[in-house]
Order: sequence, then structure tokens, then C-alpha cells
Amino acid sequence: MGKTSRTLVTMPASAKKGDIIEIRIIVQHDMESGFRHTETGQRVPRDIIRDFLCTYNDVEVFRVELHPGMGANPMIIFTTVATESGTLEFKWTGDDGYASSTTSQLLVT
Amino acid sequence: MNRRAFVFSAAVASGLPSFNALGEVADATQAVEKIVGNKNVSRGRVTLVIPPLVENGNLVTMKVSVESPMTKDDYVQAIHIVAEGNPLPNVVSFYLSSRSGRAVITTRIRLGDSQRVRAIAHMSDGSFWQGDASTLVTIAACAEV
Repeated sequence: MGKTSRTLVTMPASAKKGDIIEIRIIVQHDMESGFRHTETGQRVPRDIIRDFLCTYNDVEVFRVELHPGMGANPMIIFTTVATESGTLEFKWTGDDGYASSTTSQLLVT
Repeated sequence: MNRRAFVFSAAVASGLPSFNALGEVADATQAVEKIVGNKNVSRGRVTLVIPPLVENGNLVTMKVSVESPMTKDDYVQAIHIVAEGNPLPNVVSFYLSSRSGRAVITTRIRLGDSQRVRAIAHMSDGSFWQGDASTLVTIAACAEV
């Protein structure tokens, strides 16, 4: 059983070779921490995104391990060096079969 | 809410304050030990920016930056964020590479209480560096039902 949600990636469409580009990602997810209780004292089970992976032409450039301490709708701003034109892929995986991915094209001149 | 449910939730509520100041720091120390092993953690090179006063602990913007040339031979491997006052001190770990260009990351985290948050950077030469920031939290995350 898979779950997906809305993802948003903001990054430049083109860059000069060797430039550092900034990538901003936001993914829609409640990030239920597993530390909250309902009115009747029952623990709400944990349901979070565990991993984020960014690959640049199939080479890993950035990875994140998320824990319940991450805020809801995780947002991460990071950087990478524009080396060659190609595809950046962003992948999220988490509890309860959560998986989602999105790609962006980068033109390097 | 029936009586049994009330007794149970009261027990849960009374269990919460058991995260006393000493316990928190011990938990965080353990979490840090898990990350660095028996290596020495030096102070400096890492800058962690968190607002000194946070109204709502559910969404706290933090920015971490590490001084590093970020070349093939000298770069930041990983940055770990540890919150001493959270029920689970590990918050998030970033794994970078020489292709990151800059070791600067912004994200949003949860804070369970007023506390000191630490950022530990793991360099490519195997050394560890630490920076920290303290903050006051008015409304804590995980407090609401």
C-alpha cells in the first residue's frame, strides 16, 4: 500500500558550469511524531518521512535522515554545484509505505 | 470521557514531567555518543541560527552553516542536529558531499521545550565540530492533544 503527496521543488532552470545552485524542497506531510495522545490517552502512532535523497544524473549528492523532530510539511534548503546538464531526482520514503519522487531539469552552460 | 479513560490520561500526563532537566541532557549525551563514538568534539566552525524566542515550537526555522572549503579532499560529510530537550534528541541528519558547494542548510524543526540545540558536523578527515544555540519556547511542540 503506497501513499504519496504533493511535493514542491524550487531551483533555477539553468546555471553556469561550476555555479552553486540553491534547491528548496517542500513536501506535504503531517509528520505525526508518535509522541501525541488522543483525549482518551491513546498514543497516536508515528507516521513520518524517514529519508530524503537527491541524485544528480543518478549520482547521490545530498541525503537526509528525518526523525520525529522535523516539523510538519518538511522544508529543506540545500545547495549543489552545477556540473553538467541533466536531471535531478528528489525521492522521499517513509512509514506506512510512503514514497514519492519528482524530477527537475537543469541546463548547464 | 469515562472514569477509566480519565485515570489513564492522568497517568500519562503525570508521566510527562519525568523528562527532567538531568534526564534530557543524559539522553542527548547518549545521542551524541552514538553519532561521534569515542571521538573528541571540538567547538567552533559550526554556526547554528535559531530565533532566541520562539512562540510556537511546532515549526522553528533553523539555519546551520559549517566553515569548510568544500573541495574533494576537505568537505563536510554530515551535519547532525540534536535537541537536548526533545523526547527524542535526534532531530535530523544531513549527509553532504564535495559536490554540495556550500555547507549551509535551512530547515524547520520541532522543539519540545526551551532548550539548547546542538549541531555536530562530521568532516571528511574524520573530525567532529560543534556549534549550539539556546532558545526560549513559549508553546512547546507535542504539548497539544
